Parts: sequence; structure tokens; C-alpha cells
Amino acid sequence: MTSPTISAASQPELSKIEQAKVEPCGLELVPRLEELGRQGWESLDEATLTIRLKWLGIFFRPVTPGRFMVRLRLPNGVISAEQLELLAEVIDRCGDQGSADITTRQNLQLRGLLLEDMAPLLQALEVGGLTSRQSGHDNPRNITGNPLAGIDPEEIFDTRPLVEAIQARLLGPAGPRNLPRKFNVAVGGAPDSFLLHNDLAFLPAEHNGQLGFTVLVGGFFSAQRNELAIPLGLWLRPEQLADFTLALLCHFERHGNRQQRNKSRLMYLIDQLGIDAYRAELVEAFAEPVLPHDGSHLVNRAPRSGLGVHAQKQQGLHWLGLHVPMGRLDAASMLELAGLARTYGSGELRLTEAQNALIVDVPGDRLEALLAEPLLQRFRPDPSTLQAEAVSCTGSAYCSFALIPTKGAAQQVLEELERRIELPEAVRMHWTGCPNACGQPYMGQIGLMGAKARKDGQMVEAAKIFLGGSMGAEPKLAELHEKGVPLSDLADVLELLLLEQFGARRREPVGS
Amino acid sequence: MRSALPQREPAQLPSSGSPQRWGWLQQLRSQPELDPEPWLLALENGSLSADQDLLAVLAERLDPPAQRRLLRWWRQQPDPDPGLPSQVLRHRDGASAAWLLEQLAPGPAALGLALPLSALPQAVATALLPLLGHQRQLPAWPVLLGWLQAPIPTPLRLAALEGVARGLSVWPRPQLVAALTALAGDLDPQLAAPAVDLLARLPGARRALVPLQRCRLDPRVVERLGRRLAATPAQPLLLVVHGRAGGQLPDELVALAAELECGRGAPVRLQALSAAVPPAATELLQPGQVLGLVPLLLLPGGHVRHDLPAIVRHWSAFARVQHWPFLGAWPQWQGALANELAGLSLQNCQPAARPLLLHHPLEGPLAARYLTTLERRTGAHCVATPYSADHLAELKLTLVAPALPLALAANRLTDQLAEQVGPPLLQRSALRQLLLAELEALP
Repeated sequence: MTSPTISAASQPELSKIEQAKVEPCGLELVPRLEELGRQGWESLDEATLTIRLKWLGIFFRPVTPGRFMVRLRLPNGVISAEQLELLAEVIDRCGDQGSADITTRQNLQLRGLLLEDMAPLLQALEVGGLTSRQSGHDNPRNITGNPLAGIDPEEIFDTRPLVEAIQARLLGPAGPRNLPRKFNVAVGGAPDSFLLHNDLAFLPAEHNGQLGFTVLVGGFFSAQRNELAIPLGLWLRPEQLADFTLALLCHFERHGNRQQRNKSRLMYLIDQLGIDAYRAELVEAFAEPVLPHDGSHLVNRAPRSGLGVHAQKQQGLHWLGLHVPMGRLDAASMLELAGLARTYGSGELRLTEAQNALIVDVPGDRLEALLAEPLLQRFRPDPSTLQAEAVSCTGSAYCSFALIPTKGAAQQVLEELERRIELPEAVRMHWTGCPNACGQPYMGQIGLMGAKARKDGQMVEAAKIFLGGSMGAEPKLAELHEKGVPLSDLADVLELLLLEQFGARRREPVGS
Repeated sequence: MRSALPQREPAQLPSSGSPQRWGWLQQLRSQPELDPEPWLLALENGSLSADQDLLAVLAERLDPPAQRRLLRWWRQQPDPDPGLPSQVLRHRDGASAAWLLEQLAPGPAALGLALPLSALPQAVATALLPLLGHQRQLPAWPVLLGWLQAPIPTPLRLAALEGVARGLSVWPRPQLVAALTALAGDLDPQLAAPAVDLLARLPGARRALVPLQRCRLDPRVVERLGRRLAATPAQPLLLVVHGRAGGQLPDELVALAAELECGRGAPVRLQALSAAVPPAATELLQPGQVLGLVPLLLLPGGHVRHDLPAIVRHWSAFARVQHWPFLGAWPQWQGALANELAGLSLQNCQPAARPLLLHHPLEGPLAARYLTTLERRTGAHCVATPYSADHLAELKLTLVAPALPLALAANRLTDQLAEQVGPPLLQRSALRQLLLAELEALP
């Protein structure tokens, strides 16, 4: 274990959470899982149940005490049909309580599980080549990459082996076990790899005619502060990414803020040290030669949705991007997705940050049959321009901080808008239930954040509206436009916005 | 210094809808010390409303006495918010469990009480039943069972079932299996389907699930059962049997193995004690599999004591072996023998005669203890029966009491005394069905 050594004499008092994290590390629960399953977990104290289990990817959910969530790690969002079937079985036996969400980190989280499910599940994950290790709390979260890695005609780098290598290093024996706060890492591989919301982002960049990566640091969203990552001023060869990431995280583990959790993300450490001093410390910690860089990169436009049929770089093969409404899956649809991937493609699927799924390696002569499959009536390859790029956090159904049932509210409003207007181009709408901003509202062309507002003398569920977020060549965070629109009025307000600012047209009334 | 930070007071809480409220509550949440007293008072005297966002923050900071105080207040509200208890009672502690038990122990009868203050609104019971299970205290079991089995609206029974789910591994296993098995046959698939799912989570789930295949179930539940069984694949099985001279396998056993293989969807092979060569491991095992080894032997004779360990050693070289007790020791088998003997007695013209179990002679104290136990459990008298021609011929003339041969498949005893003892045990429908069901249900 690589817990930082903290001298009682020199350090201020640790927060309650920091005290719970120090000993024992949640990973030490692994050998006890089977025994805990047998004994009913009665021996676990609440700190273990609610904090340390997150090191295994197991989340106590205050909204549903006794029904747990498991968050996986899917490096680069790649998953096989067999793995998806394994997960479908897990949530199928949770009945109506079971579901899976595609997350904004190309990941899956399973809901409705019982403690008795955990030991067999973690064993099955291992056999199936999956893991949920260190996917929650103060750990390096799922590492994202280009969802089209390896099949993208516009690819600059295949991010899959790079992401895999970083994960292997971070979860390996030298990896961090007790970071001051969560940490997001991403690797870009295409001109549309927008990744500036990550604590650490590697973007493709040239240096003296050689392709490699420029390093950006400090991006994050929270209730207090929202920042896009800034250039660190270093350029790395692809084979250096894994070791550099480890060095940076170990530095953060040693020096990050452990006294104030709301000031513990990486950007606060950069603020404290100054970017030049921070870079100097990292260069020293990395102990390999690195090159200075001006931070320019080859990412120059907003991410493609990837929905619909597209030719892969492999001759004769295609990927089919399917829109998963609000990223919510049930067991039956997971099984169907897996079946389609195996029947028509190579059996591999990709998950995107926009919470959608791609079936890859489909031969041209199989496309027609695939497009006729019944599942595609629900998971459409050609969703409306309103639905196509809608992203949502989980909402009040599962999160006690959310002020609105985000997924349900978003779906209802979007369906209402579809009936009223036509939109020529997809508009990226990001919905989030509270200021913690898990649904990344600042990245949306339109961002919506759960709130409360007064209407007719009553306090009602509402949404703040943010406008102007851009993930293009000149990235920009969305800014507050409306303070609190009651959900019942939201369709009207958004309709006007879309008509006035996004080129929408009112649909002709039926029969006119 | 943290202690210098001002305490946030209820009166300062921005009103619901205020843009400052969420941030204010988050700061309250991260406040190192929080005295719950003013907050509870404000809720109790109505100056604060028990909004979900406030409760989400307060619930993390309430100790068990404060939790119960809040819950008592909640119970007295004319229209209590059913969402409150799950926020407040998230942790497990004895006093909270006792409070929940106190609310729910009167059972569904409390729903109809005339006194408004003591009546338990349905919404309250529905909210509390899952939490009672989450507390994982054994005394909750009969209470949950009472609610689960009562003729009450489905949402209440579902809530009780959710309580059962959240404490699953705590409840007494035989009663749990019996209750869930009964529920799996419920006409309402909303209840039956989760019952099947819960059975599938128990250790050795196949033993509980396989018998359900023979029950009348809702078609949706049948599908669910199929999925659960498919996800708990059966181990390959090796049935160790007596066999006849030269390792020949009796037809009854060959047929049983074939039917069993079909039912389990996994390889089943027979190994005769008299065989020179065991079956090939490659016929039976995939890499990494566990081999179930079942001695279909009825007596703890020399084969069980000496030959079986050697067979287990042989197979342990290829796989991890799960070695089951010899068939004669299985309580279910002994019960089935007792039933069969009872049937014989009824058919016999001398109903008062004690039935006999004719067995191959055994030696040693273990054998004697076993035979005594078998006699006690079956009500029969065990009679050592040498298979010599002379002895069998004499028995043919003298045997008058009803008798069963302790032989699974035809042998010299059943061949020669067919008229007196009837067919071997595997040719008797009830015994064969029981054995098949038990073997099908093995992991």
C-alpha cells in the first residue's frame, strides 16, 4: 500500500473521510468477500460499508439502503458481447430494481444489487476479464479514449493500448490507493477528442514532426468551480503515457489537499504551486527525459455522435451507432445488444461519453438485416436531433443530492419538444440533477441543472438553464441563462430558445 | 481552526427554491461538528419543513437516538412522507432495528386498527418493511414472513419481500427456502419472479431451483427460472456404482445416467467399482471445472471405506472433486425408503409384520451403527442376506414379511427372489424419481 505518510506534528487534522480512508484500504476486503457474503456482512462497520467498499467498486446507496450499485471499469469504453451478457444476468436477477447506466466516462454502473451478489459478481467479473476495482471515491476513475479507436478513418492514435497500459500501471502494485480526491484521466486519439474536463488529458500533438501527446491538466466540474484543463507544457511519446500518469498521480497522492474536500481536485494543487513549479516537480518525479511543448494539439472540433452507419477504416466494415435514451439499459436490452453485436459484428461494442453504444465490425452485406432488427426501434441509429446528443446524470431516483428526477424529466421534455419542433442540427443538451454537475451541464450547448422554483405559490421542481458550452476548436463552458424554470414550463422555455437560437422550426399541426 | 467555524443554524437555511440553498446545505454537510438538536426542534415545531435535500444532509449526521426521535415525529404526522425513513434509517443498529420491529410486529392486522394514532398506514408499512430487512436482525424474520404470507395488497407483500431480499443471508435457511419456494408458485408473477431470483442467490441454488421446474408456474416465471438455471450451470457428475462382474453396468443405472445428463445439461458418467479402467477425464471435464462425485452405494461397506478414497484420489489429479456422501446416508433417500416400505406393508396380507430391508452382509462398528440408524428411520428390520445360492434358496422358501432388497439395480438377490422382494430399487418409480430429482439438483 502506498498511503502517504502524514506526520501528526506537521499536518492539520484529517477530515472524517480521510481518517476512514487511511486504514484499512478497501482493497484489503477482497480476500474477505466470500466470507462476508456467507456471514451477511454484519461484521462490516459503516465506514467500510459506505466508503471502503468503493475501492472494490461497490457503492452503498443512501436512497435505497440495502440495494447497492457496482461501477465497473471499461477502459476506452470497450466491452464484448460475452461481458455484456454477464452483466445482463446480474441485473436481470435484480428484477424491477435492476438496471445499468452508461456513464459519461464510457463506463457502466449496475444498480439494484444485494450484498449477497457481490462475492459471486466480483469472481465472475474476474473470469470474464472485467473489473470494478477502484472505480469510486478517491481513485483514478475509468480512463476514457476515442470510442472509435482502431476503426476510425480519422484516427490519429489508437487509444486502446494506451488506455489499457495506463490502467495497468495505476491498478498495479505501484499505483495510488489513497488519493486526496477522485481523478479523471483521458487519452485523445482523433480530431474530435474533446477531453478538457479531465484532471489529466493527453491530446495528440506534433513535436518536431513527430506525433505524440501534449499534456493538459486540472480540468474538472464541481459545485464550487468549473475549469477546463490547461496546458502543462510537456510533450510525451505514446509509450511514456502510462509511467507519466503514474508519476503524476503519485505526486498528487503525496501533495494534494486532504483538509478541505471541496478544494482537493488537482487544479487546486496547481493553483497552490503555480503551473511552472508544478511542471518542474512532475518532471523531477517522472525521472525520464521529456520535451517542453506549447500545448497546441490536433483536436479541433466537437465530438462526433457516432450514431448511424459509418464506414470503418477497415475496408468493407462498418460501425452502427445506437442512441440509448438517457444511457439507461435493462437486462433484456443488454442481451439484445450483445446478440446483435455477435450476430452482425465481431461481438465487440463500444460505449461513448454521450451514453450511447456502438456495434462494430459489421460487414456491408449485413447492414440491411441489422437495421431491420426490432431493438433499433428503441435504440435508434437515427434519433431526433433533440435526443441524439442528450446526456443525463442519474437523478433523484438513485441520488439523494439530485433535486429532480433527471433522466425521466429530460426524456419527457425532449419527447414533448419533438412533437412541437423540428431541429435541423443536433444540439448537445446536458442534464444534471444538482450543482455537483455529474451530467456535465457546462459542456452542453444547452445545459440544464436541477433546482427548485416557486410556481403559483408552491415550491416545485425546476431547472436552471445554461447556454453556450462548446467542445469545438475554441472550447467554452456554458453560462447561466435562466435561474429556475419549473419543469412544467421547461418545454415552453426550451422551445423558444431552440426556435430563436438554434434554428428550430415549429412543426405543422397535423392535418393542416 | 475548525472549532472556530460558526455553526449553521436552522433559521439561516435559505428557503426552498433559493439559489443559495444547495450550496448552503453542502457547507452544512461538510461542517465538522453538527449539533442535531436545533434541527430536530425546528422540524418538530414546524418552523422547518422536512424537505428531501435537508434530510439528505441531516441524515448523515444523526446518531441513533436522534434518528429515532425524528422517526417518532414522522410517525405522528397526519400524512407522513414515505420517503423519509429510508433516508434516516440508512445504517444498521440495534435500536433502529428494534424501533422498526415495534412498528411492524403487530403484522397486517395493525393496518385495520380503529384508533387513528396506532393504526399503521399502508404507505408507512410499505416504507418500513424493506428497512426492517436491511437491519439484518434475525427476530425480523417471522415478522417479514407474516407480512409476506398475509392476504394483503401486493405492494405490501412486495415490500415484505424486499425486506427479505435485503437481509437474505441472515434468515434461517430452511424456512427461507420453503417460503420462497411457495412464493415462486404464487399466482402473481410480481411476487413469484423475485422469489425465484432470491432462491438463485442462495448457496447451492440448483437444489432449490430444479424442483421448481416440476411446479405449475406463471409462464414469465418459468422463463425467469430458465435464465437463473442457465446461469448456474451444473458440474459434471461421476456416479460411482457397484456394477456387475467385469465392470458391466446395469441397464437401470445406464438409463438413469442418460436421463440425468439430459436434465442437468452437463456430462454424467458412471464408474463401476468392478471396472478395470475409469472413464476418460476428457469425456467428463473441461479445464477449471469442479467434478461432483456421487457414490450411488447404499451401505457403508468396504467399497465406501476403501475403494472410494482411491477413486477420489484418481480424479483429484484432474479436477477439484466435490465428494458427496454415499447415497444410503442421504436423509431424503432414507425417507423415500421408509415410504416405499410403508406402501409394502399396506399391500401385505400380514400388515402387522415388520418390513425387512435385505442387505449384503456388513462388518465393523460403523456398519452396525448405520444399520441401527436406518432401522430407526425406516421402521424396517435390516437383515444381512448373503448372496450364496443356498442362502437365497432358503430365503425364497421362508420369507413371509414384506421386504425390500437394498439393491439399486438387478443382482443375484433380486433375480432369485423376484417374487418375494419385487424389483430392485431403481425399478420403483417413487425411488427412481426421488433419486433423479436429488441428483438433478446437485451443483
